[in-house]
Amino acid sequence: MSTGYETAASRGLASCHVCCKLAPSSQHHCPRCGAPLHLRTGNSLQTTLALLITASILYIPANLYPIMITDTISGAEFSTILGGVVLLIKLGSVPVALVIFIASVMVPLAKLAAMFYLVWSVGRSDRENHRQRTKLYVIAEFIGKWSMVDVFVVAILAALVHLGGLLVIQPGIAAYSFAGVVMITMVAAESFDPRLMWDQLDKKNDGSDT
Amino acid sequence: MSDLIACHGCDLLVDVSTLESGSHASCPRCGHFLTRCQHDAMSRVLAYTVAAIILLLLAVAFPFLSFAASGLESVMTLRSAPGSLWNYGMPELAILVAAFIIYIPAIILLLLVSISLPLIYGKNAPWLRFAARGVFTLQTWSMVEVFIIGVIVSLVKIAAMATVGLGISFWAYAGFSICFTLAVAALDRYQCWEMIEAVEASR
Repeated sequence: MSTGYETAASRGLASCHVCCKLAPSSQHHCPRCGAPLHLRTGNSLQTTLALLITASILYIPANLYPIMITDTISGAEFSTILGGVVLLIKLGSVPVALVIFIASVMVPLAKLAAMFYLVWSVGRSDRENHRQRTKLYVIAEFIGKWSMVDVFVVAILAALVHLGGLLVIQPGIAAYSFAGVVMITMVAAESFDPRLMWDQLDKKNDGSDT
Repeated sequence: MSDLIACHGCDLLVDVSTLESGSHASCPRCGHFLTRCQHDAMSRVLAYTVAAIILLLLAVAFPFLSFAASGLESVMTLRSAPGSLWNYGMPELAILVAAFIIYIPAIILLLLVSISLPLIYGKNAPWLRFAARGVFTLQTWSMVEVFIIGVIVSLVKIAAMATVGLGISFWAYAGFSICFTLAVAALDRYQCWEMIEAVEASR
């Protein structure tokens, strides 16, 4: 190989995703920890793409329906995720509005966009920025669970604020869809196999040698 | 062959046999983190884990936040956060939230004790593989640090409406989140499994 790099797959070895053990790829289970063993995550791109589309669809009701209902003497107020951000800015707490906006709006969108791009780019051998794309994947995987903040806020406020008929906060139906979006994108990130991007590079290098 | 590690980012084979204690290895090709070597890693894991268990017990036992306005007061405990979702007719979400902030972290902590204790003394235990597999599978799904941010956001949201008091649980859970994160971070996947293999072989 012209690059001088040798991959585990080129030696017929599969790396266990649970314990890092290297074992012949003909085995079905890791000899050390017993986890299912495979050279590359099975049907990685299809699974990831399917989950990403599911999450994108769920993201619509998550934003349209109220995530929190505030009952006061003057009536009930329904607030969506974006509505909550606007309310926080009106209250003057811009930093927290920013945290909620980043965690609940930007992170899920950025993560969906990044994962869609990664899945799309695997099929193109003309993409050269392998290192950057691997970094993008690591970041997308890391930031995923931070979007749960909004669901937790709703749970906390619903548990804390129940002052008889004076002021009661209830969770809204969007909490379901939003938790769904976060969890499905987390599973999508796990099912994506970044090694597929590098396989393209290895294949290309092998081809130029022969 | 056990000194070789295949990068999870790009499948490159990297020799980590010369890695010294206190240093870590990253993939030379894609930059993905590979492993960190620390000679007292298991003692660190145990220390942080024990601290985290004590703090979690405190966090479950005491009131978390209190909220008072116009002479009325309501109190939230760690368990009532998912509990309220249950009462408002969202049992599935309640179970998930409870799992993310209490039960999954608690299970991870118990598994960490069961792994680190035998490994510190260099002894084999029949549950080592099972426990280690559990820890590495579950750790993605603990959202302790996310919950802390959620608490802070909630505080700011309602601070203007009424008087909010921080309970013992709040401080205990804040400490717990730090200890828990450190405990999980101290456990290196590759090194942990190498140690398990070593004690099993010396049987």
